[in-house]
Amino acid sequence: MGQDRENLISNDIGKGVARDALGYDPNALPLEVIDMTVAYPGQPPLLEGVSFKVEHGEILGILGPSGCGKSSLLRHLVGLEYPRRGTALVLGEDIFANGEESLNRARHRFGVMYQSGALFGDLNLLDNVAMPLKEYSRLGPGARKAAAALKLALVGLSGFEYHMPAEISGGMRKRAAIARALALEPSLLFLDEPGAGLDPVTATGLDHLILTLSRNLGLSFVVVTHELRSILTMIDRAILLDKTACGIADSGTPKYLAEESEVPAAKAFFLRDQEERAL
Amino acid sequence: MHGQPFTLKGPDGAGRVLLGGDLNAFTAPRGSLAGMLVKSGNKEITFDMSGLVGLDLNGAAILMDLEKTLGDLGVRVSFEGVPEEEKEIWELARDTSAKIPDTSPPAPLGFIPATGKMIMDFLKDGYELTMFFGEVVIDGIGLLLRPWTGRWATTLKIAERSVVDAVPVTILVGFLVGLILAFQSAMVMQLFGVDIFVADLVGLAIIRELGALLTAIVLTGRSGSAFSSELASMKTNQEIDAMVTMGLSPVKNLALPRIVALTFATPILTVLGDMAGLLGGNVVMVAIGHPVAVFWKELSGHLDLSDIFTGFFKSFVFGFTVALVGCQRGLFAGSGPSDVGEATTLGVVTNIILIAILDSLFAVLFYVLDW
Repeated sequence: MGQDRENLISNDIGKGVARDALGYDPNALPLEVIDMTVAYPGQPPLLEGVSFKVEHGEILGILGPSGCGKSSLLRHLVGLEYPRRGTALVLGEDIFANGEESLNRARHRFGVMYQSGALFGDLNLLDNVAMPLKEYSRLGPGARKAAAALKLALVGLSGFEYHMPAEISGGMRKRAAIARALALEPSLLFLDEPGAGLDPVTATGLDHLILTLSRNLGLSFVVVTHELRSILTMIDRAILLDKTACGIADSGTPKYLAEESEVPAAKAFFLRDQEERAL
Repeated sequence: MHGQPFTLKGPDGAGRVLLGGDLNAFTAPRGSLAGMLVKSGNKEITFDMSGLVGLDLNGAAILMDLEKTLGDLGVRVSFEGVPEEEKEIWELARDTSAKIPDTSPPAPLGFIPATGKMIMDFLKDGYELTMFFGEVVIDGIGLLLRPWTGRWATTLKIAERSVVDAVPVTILVGFLVGLILAFQSAMVMQLFGVDIFVADLVGLAIIRELGALLTAIVLTGRSGSAFSSELASMKTNQEIDAMVTMGLSPVKNLALPRIVALTFATPILTVLGDMAGLLGGNVVMVAIGHPVAVFWKELSGHLDLSDIFTGFFKSFVFGFTVALVGCQRGLFAGSGPSDVGEATTLGVVTNIILIAILDSLFAVLFYVLDW
């Protein structure tokens, strides 16, 4: 397994490239997934041989119908589950190389927003965002507060610093969760169904926020979604997962997948848009 | 982010501070920069940022916090020489920061308002519990008049869960309490040669008082808390709202089966707890040399029906109270995930306090009635 992993990784780790404060090469790809097999113990694989890359400043969508393995793939990419085969590189480094040690290091370089926001209910928004800074950074209390307030302002939540998660709407909770994911200034953000459970206006606002953050900060995003509106609004490139193919059925720009792809899974996935409109 | 160490040189006589390297959350200097800069005695400080090779939003936040802290201490701060590559992030941070209103955390309540709030909360709590009690009584009368409308299958299932599953723990607690009580009293009574009366002490204490009390406390921890958390979870999942909008009464469909089940199940458990307690006392009596028959003969000579009745009556009331409070706390919980835990804790605390109060009232009542 270890030998397999070494063979899979082609990057020139440790060969004198410039490193960031945490020792990562800032010019390496934010995410590279290599031949990953997603499976739960004792069960047949959900996805096999999944490989893809995310470029700097790119918003990559993981698409597919319910049950195709989108969320399972995300759980493996953020290290909540270990892949049966293959691996993922964050800024050129194998996040599974040394178990939890390398995973914890990589977790400083990526942020995650969960479907529900997953804010800590007993902390106000400011403390939610400041929590990773308190745990991992060298910032003192004043700078931590300033940095957290800045992240909240960046997602449009100025003035809500001392509100509790239960006191704000679902859309605001998701914005606050993005602010928290941004706390350590990662290069990559994973978003799980950002528009789920939101009204179209709020969901569109969130899509625009993600686009703005990507363009202004050069952040890369991996967005798990099946919302056609979001896919067409913000996704630069997407991979389409399919249960029958047990992996990636097709990949490309949303326009290509929606209009040109001959893959049945792509047709079925994007055809529902026309059906929805016809209704 | 380039990973070069952050450097700070100065201030010189003109108050100029030269910044260099990479400034972010991981390279920021430890300790108070503001304190060090104030000590220099300059009333104006200019940060020359031309030496910075990396700056992110956290780095910008550090500088802006420094500007604010020094400003509060009477030092004027300015920034210059922002490198071309860092201009975008610096301006984004400055523009965004300018929009942040000056908010502060809500101040904690003073002693008098906090006391007032506590009293109001207590009164509101009492009011809600009383109203709920009223609803239960009305729905209970409705159930008596039309018994076929009751959810008897659910009631039996809850009773089974509350009684059968609670039998081992009730017996264990009852037995150990009987054993301890007998052992502690026997040690003293033996000194005076009256250890035969241990049987009366254990018997009266367990049957009149402790049996019902201990069973109620066991049920508070086991069933009352389960009722609170079950119903609070249903509230969080909007199941209660769904029931109300379907025109169904949560009190009748959810609370009443639990209350009926526990009210009639508690006396059964109390009897089992009593018997286990007496057995515990009997074991100690045998151990100090009194045959089994002596224990029971002594006990039957001093116990009368009123003793058995008081324990039995109390167990009904305690069972009703545990279920009533457990259900009320669950149904009146908030709709957030943390409210489930809060409702459960509050239910257990309220039940223990109420049981203690009711037991004291019963003690006075039975004394007055000479039971």
